[in-house]
Amino acid sequence: MNRSRLCVAVLLFLGLAASTFSQAPPEPKFKLGGQAENVALRDLKGQSSPLYDVGQGSKLRVVMFIATQCPVSNAYNERMAAIDREYQAQGVRFLAINSNRQESASEVGQHAAKNGFGFPMYKDEKNVVADIFGASVTPEVYVFDAGWTLRYHGRIDDNQPGTKITSPDLRNALTALLENKPVPAAETKAFGCTIKRVSK
Amino acid sequence: MSVRSQTGRGRLRAPALRWGGGLAIALLLACPAHVPAAGGLQPVDEAGYRKLLDRHRGQVVLVDFWATWCEPCRQEMPALVRIAGQYAPAGFRLITISADDEEQLGRAAQFLRLHRAPFPAYYKKARDDTAFINSVEPAWSGALPALFLYRPDGRLAAKFIGETEPQTIEGAVRKLLAARPKGK
Repeated sequence: MNRSRLCVAVLLFLGLAASTFSQAPPEPKFKLGGQAENVALRDLKGQSSPLYDVGQGSKLRVVMFIATQCPVSNAYNERMAAIDREYQAQGVRFLAINSNRQESASEVGQHAAKNGFGFPMYKDEKNVVADIFGASVTPEVYVFDAGWTLRYHGRIDDNQPGTKITSPDLRNALTALLENKPVPAAETKAFGCTIKRVSK
Repeated sequence: MSVRSQTGRGRLRAPALRWGGGLAIALLLACPAHVPAAGGLQPVDEAGYRKLLDRHRGQVVLVDFWATWCEPCRQEMPALVRIAGQYAPAGFRLITISADDEEQLGRAAQFLRLHRAPFPAYYKKARDDTAFINSVEPAWSGALPALFLYRPDGRLAAKFIGETEPQTIEGAVRKLLAARPKGK
């Protein structure tokens, strides 16, 4: 193989290798068992506050990446509101983040009001927070303990319509952690909508 | 032979039959129950996925994980079907796998037929989505749309998660086809 052909082959290989991961979200800055980065959150009025300020004194915190237009995320609206109500009294604090580029803060606010969300909503402009978390899908949840160590990451349950749930993973994780027991499945996955990121 | 021509009584019955027939067709179209449970889509689980890829050794394969609830998935389907038709003679194969719930599979099949997507087409039938998603690609979260491009030897060459320009996909397919051993 002469030098020019070799160069073409190398470029071809590099091109394919680059495309393999070009569409994937960035690697998370922390993983299961690791501590969350104290990122700055912006509420729907644009006011900034550190993540660690949310739910100070709570036993557990649940960070949910959700959407206004994703049918999968919307299928979980009632369940998210119900789980929040149920576990709030047990010292669990929920918050939700919208990182989709096409969903505005005002749209996020209207969606939260319409669905009766009792938890605070944040707008993640330019998906900075989603990139740090490595979040890629909606809905996607993260459960942290009092020291902001990640103890559960993944889906809410295993059934989008909610009629055939066999594994209520978020509830299982919260119940286990509140009872100081091991989480049955600490990392789960589900089909969902991609978080629509800005080009960087 | 029309009903009207058979008997005198037929003249009276024909309008009723026509109305009845029309009503039946309207009901069939309105009622999803007329669609077979899986709409003609074939189930695939973790083991089935690997077998599916093995059956297409020697070809460049693009697996499209999609769902009827996924708007970007629906939007990119016509472009994927075009690429599939254009490069099929060169050894390219598009495989669609629906991530819809079983209740929606009839609609998924209708959508694929409407867009002339290649059949057989498939739907994921896994006991646990986490295991299924990990078996396809451990780094994949399950976000749709998700495309996985495989070399003729079955190895993963590229993946496209989320909205992707058709020319990006087509370019990757062409590169693999150009590198494909001749005569296969």
